[in-house]
Amino acid sequence: MKYHLITLGCQMNIADSERVSSVLEGMGYTRTENEEDASLLGILACSVRQKPIDKVYNKIAQWNRWKNKRNLLTFVSGCLLPADKDKFLKTFDLIFPMSELGQLPDMIREYGVVTPAALKSRQPIMPKNEHIAGMWSIAPKHQSTYEAYVPIQNGCDKFCTFCAVPYTRGREVSRPSSDIIDEIRHLANQGYKSITLLGQNVNSYGLDKNGEEISFAELLRQIGEFGKISEHEFWVYFTSPHPEDMNREVIEVIASYDCLAKQIHLPMQSGDERVLIKMNRRHSMDKYRRIVEDIRELIPQATLFTDIIVGFTGEGEAEFQNTVAAFEEFKFNMAYIAMYSPRPGAASFRWEDEVSSEDKKDRLFRLSQVLKFYSNENNQFYLEKTMRVLINGTDRKTGFSTGVTEGKIIVRLDKHDHSLMGQLVNVKITSATFLSMSGEVV
Amino acid sequence: MMSLMKPDMQMDESFYKIEDIRQLTGNAFSIKLPKARFAFKAGQHISLGIVGGNQSREYSIYSGENDPNLEVLIKEVQNGYFTPQLRRLKVGRVLEIHGPFGKFGMEPELAAHGKFVFIASGTGIAPFRSIIRTYPTIDYTIIHGVRYSEEAYDRDQYDSKRYKLCTSRENKGDYYGRLTGYLKSCTFAPETHFDLCGNSDMIFDALEILKDKGFDRDQIHCEVYF
Repeated sequence: MKYHLITLGCQMNIADSERVSSVLEGMGYTRTENEEDASLLGILACSVRQKPIDKVYNKIAQWNRWKNKRNLLTFVSGCLLPADKDKFLKTFDLIFPMSELGQLPDMIREYGVVTPAALKSRQPIMPKNEHIAGMWSIAPKHQSTYEAYVPIQNGCDKFCTFCAVPYTRGREVSRPSSDIIDEIRHLANQGYKSITLLGQNVNSYGLDKNGEEISFAELLRQIGEFGKISEHEFWVYFTSPHPEDMNREVIEVIASYDCLAKQIHLPMQSGDERVLIKMNRRHSMDKYRRIVEDIRELIPQATLFTDIIVGFTGEGEAEFQNTVAAFEEFKFNMAYIAMYSPRPGAASFRWEDEVSSEDKKDRLFRLSQVLKFYSNENNQFYLEKTMRVLINGTDRKTGFSTGVTEGKIIVRLDKHDHSLMGQLVNVKITSATFLSMSGEVV
Repeated sequence: MMSLMKPDMQMDESFYKIEDIRQLTGNAFSIKLPKARFAFKAGQHISLGIVGGNQSREYSIYSGENDPNLEVLIKEVQNGYFTPQLRRLKVGRVLEIHGPFGKFGMEPELAAHGKFVFIASGTGIAPFRSIIRTYPTIDYTIIHGVRYSEEAYDRDQYDSKRYKLCTSRENKGDYYGRLTGYLKSCTFAPETHFDLCGNSDMIFDALEILKDKGFDRDQIHCEVYF
C-alpha cells in the first residue's frame, strides 16, 4: 500500500504533513513520490493565496479521472475555508481537520459508512481546536535528518484583513510547553541542527491559557537552558511572530542563549500607518521601530527578515514610499515581498482591489531593488569572516554545496561535498552580494 | 461519489439561539442571544456565523460582561452579502459564536482609576456600550460620529453630559460635522486614555489629531471595523 502526499503552503503545513506521514506509515502505508503508484492520495491545502487552492481543484479533478481505471482513496486537510470545504466534500473521499488526524486510520477503515448529508449540518464555520493536542501527540515522520519544524501553536486570533487563516485554522491554541521542550530535546539528541518553532503568532504563545501556561519568552528561556547543558550544537528559530505581541523580554532571552538563533523574522506588511490600520495589523510603525531598536541594541549581530504586501487596497504611491522609507531605515537582510491578491474568506476580499497589476509589479520591483541594496551592504560586513554554516543543499547551476548561516544568509561553497550535508561547518566568506554569499570550508 | 466528512464539533456550546431582535433604526438592529458561555472582557469581539452558512464576521460585543444576554449591534450593508442575511433572521434561529477575541478589552484596574475618551464612528460605539455597562462608574466621555442623529444607538443609556454626538449630514447633534472636526476643537487632560473604534479612515485621522495634540501612541488604543 502506497500513499502520495502533496503539501502546499507554509512550514506549518510541512510540519503537519510529517505527522500525517507518521500516521499513514503506522498503518502500513509506504510513501511514494510518484502519485501514479499510490492507492491513497492526499493534499494538505493552503488557503493563504488562490493559486494553491486552484492546484487542489486541478489535482482532485485529475485523481477522480484516474478512479475510472483503478481504486483510489483521496483526502484533503490543512488550511481550508468553509466555502472550499463544501466543494471538496463533493470531490474528495475524506476531508478532515488536522485536529482529527489521530482518527484518520478509523476514517480510512470506515470509509463509506457515513454519508455527508448526515454530517454536513455539523460542519463548523470556524474550526475548533480543542482536540489539536491529539494531533500534536503524534510523532512526526521528519523528511530531513537535520532540519525540523516543531508546532507550538495552532490558529490565529489576529484577523488581519488580508488573511483568512482565522477561518481556516480557528482560534489560537498553545501546545503544552512540556511537550515542546521534550520534542526539542529529542530532536537535538538525534542530531538535528536547525529547529524551527512554528505558529501563526508564535509570540502570543500561552496567552490563550490565561496564566496556566508559560509565556513565549519563558518557553525560549527553557529551550535556551536545555541548549546550555546539551552536548549538541543546534539553532532554534521561530516563525512568525506578530509585532503586537513582541516585547523586550523575548529579545533579551534570545540574546542570552547561544542555541537561540540570532535571526528574527518580524513581519511588517507595510511601512505606512494608514495601510497598517486598514490591514488591521494592530501595531504602529512606532511599535515596530521600538522592537527593531531593541534588537539592534541587544542582539546587534542578528539578521532581520520581514514580510511585505505591496499594492494592498488603499496603498497609493505615497503610502508605498513609506514602506520604501522603512526599508531604508531598518535595512532588512531579507524580505518576502508579495503582491496583494484578494483571498476569498478574508475581509479585504470584500473591498475593491484598486491597485492595478502593473502598479503592483512596479512596486514589487522597486522595493526588491531597495532590499537588494541593503542586503548587499549587510553581506559585505561578513567578507573575510569565518562563520558557522549549516550545509543543506546543492546549487542548481554549479552543483556545489550550499548552506545557511545562523542568520539564514545563503552561502554557496566552492565545491560539492556530500559528506557535509546536514553538518555545521566553518566557512570563510570570500565574496558577498545581495541575498547570498560565497565561501570555502576551513 | 461517497464522501466522509469527519466532524470536528458537535451541536455544542458554540451555538446560540436568537432570543430577541431590537430594531434601532431603519437598517440597524441588535441581536440578543443567551448569556455568553465564555468569559469576556468588555470591549472584545466575537465571530458570528449563521448555522448552515459558510461565512462568519467579527462583531464587538454590545452587552456588558454581567448582562443577562450576549448582544451584538449590526448595521445592514446595502448590497452586502452577510448583513442582509442577518437582517432576515427571526427569533429562534441559531447562530454560531466563537470568541472572545482581541485585546481591546478593558482591564478592571484601569477602568476604576483611568480617565477615558471613547471615540466611535457608527456602530463602532458597540464596545464602549459594553464597557460602560460593565463599569457604570467609569470616568468617560464618548465622542460618537454618525451621519444622522437617529444613528445615536441607545443614546438614552449614556450620561447625556458625557455623550457628544457629531452628525455630518444634519445639524441635530452636539456638533455639526465630522467627529474629527470636533476632536480638533477639544482639550483633554494629559493622562487621558483614548479608545478608538470605527472605520480605518476615521481611526487614522483621529490618531493624527491626537498625536498633534501631544498624546503618546501608547495612550491610544484602536479597534478597526472592517
